[in-house]
Amino acid sequence: MTEEKKDIYFKIFRFNPEVDQHPFYDDFKISVEKGVTILRAINYIKDHVDSTLTYRFYCQAGICGSCSMRVNGVSKLACTTQVWDELPNCKETDVITIEPMNNFEIIRDMVVEYTPVISKLEKYISWVTPKIKQQDLGKKEHIISEAEFKVYDAATDCILCGACYSECSMMTSSREYISPLGLLKAYRMVKDSRDTRSNDRMKVLNEDHGMWDCTHCYRCVEACVKKIPIMDAIQGVRNEAFLRGMKNSEGYRHAYAFTQDIKSVGRLKESTIAVRTKGIFGAISMLPFALKMLGRNRMPKVFVHTIPGIKHVKRIFQKIK
Amino acid sequence: MQPYDIIIVGAGGGGMYAAMEALQTNPKLKIAVVSKVYPTRSHTSAAQGGVNAALANRHKDDTIDLHIFDTIKGSDYLADQDAATILCEMAPYVVRELENLGAPFSRLEDGTIAQRPFGGAQKYRCCYCADRTGHTILTTLFEQCLRQGVHFLSEYYLLSLEHDGQKAQGVVVMNMQTGKIEALPARSVILATGGYAKMYWQKSSNAAGSTGDGIAAALRAGLAVEDMEFVQFHPTGLRKSGLLISEGARGEGGYLVNNKGERFMKTYAPEKMELGPRDLVSRSIEIEINEGRGFDSDAGQYMHLDLRHLGADLILERLPQIRMLAIDFEGVDPIKEPIPIRPTAHYSMGGIDANNDGATAIQGIYAVGECSCISVHGANRLGGNSLLDILVFGKLAGRHAAQLAPSLNPGAISTSAVEKSLKEIEGYSHHDRTERYGELRDELGKTLGANAGIYRTKKKLEKGVEDIMAIKERFKNVRVNDSSAVFNTNLFQVLELKNMIALAETVARGALAREESRGSHSREDFPVRDDEKWHKHSIFHMNEKGDITLSTKPVTMGKYPLQARTY
Ligand SMILES: Cc1cc2nc3c(=O)[nH]c(=O)nc-3n(C[C@H](O)[C@H](O)[C@H](O)COP(=O)(O)OP(=O)(O)OC[C@H]3O[C@@H](n4cnc5c(N)ncnc54)[C@H](O)[C@@H]3O)c2cc1C
Ligand code: SF4
Ligand code: SF4
Ligand code: FES
Repeated sequence: MTEEKKDIYFKIFRFNPEVDQHPFYDDFKISVEKGVTILRAINYIKDHVDSTLTYRFYCQAGICGSCSMRVNGVSKLACTTQVWDELPNCKETDVITIEPMNNFEIIRDMVVEYTPVISKLEKYISWVTPKIKQQDLGKKEHIISEAEFKVYDAATDCILCGACYSECSMMTSSREYISPLGLLKAYRMVKDSRDTRSNDRMKVLNEDHGMWDCTHCYRCVEACVKKIPIMDAIQGVRNEAFLRGMKNSEGYRHAYAFTQDIKSVGRLKESTIAVRTKGIFGAISMLPFALKMLGRNRMPKVFVHTIPGIKHVKRIFQKIK
Repeated sequence: MQPYDIIIVGAGGGGMYAAMEALQTNPKLKIAVVSKVYPTRSHTSAAQGGVNAALANRHKDDTIDLHIFDTIKGSDYLADQDAATILCEMAPYVVRELENLGAPFSRLEDGTIAQRPFGGAQKYRCCYCADRTGHTILTTLFEQCLRQGVHFLSEYYLLSLEHDGQKAQGVVVMNMQTGKIEALPARSVILATGGYAKMYWQKSSNAAGSTGDGIAAALRAGLAVEDMEFVQFHPTGLRKSGLLISEGARGEGGYLVNNKGERFMKTYAPEKMELGPRDLVSRSIEIEINEGRGFDSDAGQYMHLDLRHLGADLILERLPQIRMLAIDFEGVDPIKEPIPIRPTAHYSMGGIDANNDGATAIQGIYAVGECSCISVHGANRLGGNSLLDILVFGKLAGRHAAQLAPSLNPGAISTSAVEKSLKEIEGYSHHDRTERYGELRDELGKTLGANAGIYRTKKKLEKGVEDIMAIKERFKNVRVNDSSAVFNTNLFQVLELKNMIALAETVARGALAREESRGSHSREDFPVRDDEKWHKHSIFHMNEKGDITLSTKPVTMGKYPLQARTY
């Protein structure tokens, strides 16, 4: 039984701040067998062609989250992605593009600065603060029903690979944004009956860059390497806010306005959303920002066209409700 | 620079538990955790099956004593019985503590922590979070370290361990992002750098960085390392990559089947069948293959692990990760087809000689987790006992170091220590050098697999030692082609290779010397256990010239006398 083989071109992003003024792309042609992963292919290049090629990997088994990078434009784990499966995604036949993740500073080639993720975990209190006193730890276990466990079970799958962070459209507008993985972690903690700091966490989530900033673009859900239903988690923390009556925030009103807009025209009326969420004074205080946006030609259009298939949107909305 | 009170090298389960416990013991201490990868990348994340603790949630008649006995028997009576006792006694405590701190253990119907059967255990004792126990434990520990404000130095590489012959002085590290070499003075150092089973390279389930760096640093610093010849081969690695299919798959009822369609374990362990201990199951597979009952493929001979009879529901619920591994790396969906498997190097029983607090012969230097040999696993570790090992001894060492550190006054790290590292590293990029890293690494893995693998003989091991010495010689001429200071992965690969070569020599020499078969160490020319001559630990030292010397140390016995080990 011999395996299928093929010449594949890898077009790889290169940038070493020590020597390069600008990033560039290197091309490598190698012969690849069916069944080989992207990681094994670039390891081959590193071992045999160019040992300066720089990227992270560790477990090689899809569990440590080190090897995330963009393959043909989409963030994924190099170690679980088959070269063969990427061929249909190539813009040019048999040319696979390898690039670092988005929304991170680049250290070198595919290696990115990961500390902002950790700072966010810290900011949003992404841990359980146990009810049990220090001296009583370890004496007995909590009794936790299968039903409670199921609520956050999927969220504990997250390996902090950053693929969702890299694909998130809101992250691209603001690096301050909590990020999808941050929201997922927050949800996992809020739903854990062993934790005692939900109030504090919800408070931070309710602030700017928190749970209300998500634009529902679903890119994180599509990107998640563990297929975690991140949107359920985002909805979950928001529902928690609704339940707790946290109405007194910009975000809440924004989310409310947002759902109203989707219901009526199927698209955001961005230019009026500011008025409805900030109140008229708040909206005026945003004027300098709006002027800047106008200057850069990014002012949201004032007239909103109802998008085709609006009925469909309404139906989806009813389902979510 | 003010010395740290404690520097922990390694942010796996062992290192992070030590950090957490040290800060709880004394919150005023200045502590840092150094790791060559971000903490949650550590290899602990790969543990699938679970962690043993006699909670008696599932089998009400399980006891700590039974756990101790299983551990000692599993070790083929080479474990130190006092250490094994501490391990099992503390097990319920650490598992419950982790649970209290948020670890998402799977649950039984009554809401208590779920337990599954695991190889070599008489009872259902293995606590699990689906089939990603290590990942969830590591994540929980990281979260708790963040809660306590543990200071992490992530992507710092340990270059050397420093002491003055009596007391710890600290470590020399390289900041991987800048290439800067730094001396970090410390009153105490806890090594938690993980195992060395990656030296078998393609025939290993381990992460790329399980290269024994801490053990090699300790060896070079004159410390004793112990029982290095004992390397556990896991029976069920994936055929092509060596990646692991956890024992959980057999724990849930998977069958091992040969090319005749027979569950061949009935010949070797009629009672325990597929759930015999790992060394036995691995050897059984080798015998089946050698006798022509394996399946053939380009990637070598293999066996089938058949889960189909378990049904899609059970596979999806309890073994989801394993299913994805089989799909991603073999293109096989275990719901529909058997998984092609072969034995793979998996766990290193040997490591830095340490006592029951994790302390070494040098005051203030500790070793815990897979890089240590305390010794609780003896000649063969039981599945589910090494996560336990890292937790229990991580905790004990963290506590001990926190209590001791304030009273220690380390001398300064000599500037020559830093200069030595600098010189070595500059040397690697000299243009006269011609040896290629990848070639040496592959040859090392191959000779180890062929000559110091599951079945060993004098002849093979002599060849192994000879090959390793030749590779060691060629390594002097190895070239780092990347001359950049920024994240020079080529350099770290070479440094890791240096460590693997140093430890490979101890593995092969230890195996050659030990003329008996015990646990994971099977000599075809000495097929039985020889308690008279070899019921003792092997001890290795490196002398100033870099040569390895061998000696032995008695095994600490206790309640359980030597017995034949049958399953
Ligand atoms: C696939 C697989 C499955 C397993 N399943 C189980 C199981 O089900 N149950 C069980 O009990 N055990 C299991 N084990 C074994 C168990 O996971 C390991 O023995 C254990 O996790 C080791 O933990 P550790 O803390 O000692 O080291 P690791 O988790 O390996 O951490 C080592 C740390 O040291 C750091 N480090 C290493 N070298 C350097 C250096 N030079 N400089 C700086 N930092 C360094 C690394 O960055 C890392 O943070 C499994 C092992 C494997 C490979
Ligand atoms: S749905 Fe929200 S969190 Fe997810 S990618 Fe879009 S903006 Fe980001
Ligand atoms: S949510 Fe998914 S994609 Fe995002 S970091 Fe976690 S595992 Fe990766
Ligand atoms: S190398 Fe660990 S996830 Fe890819």
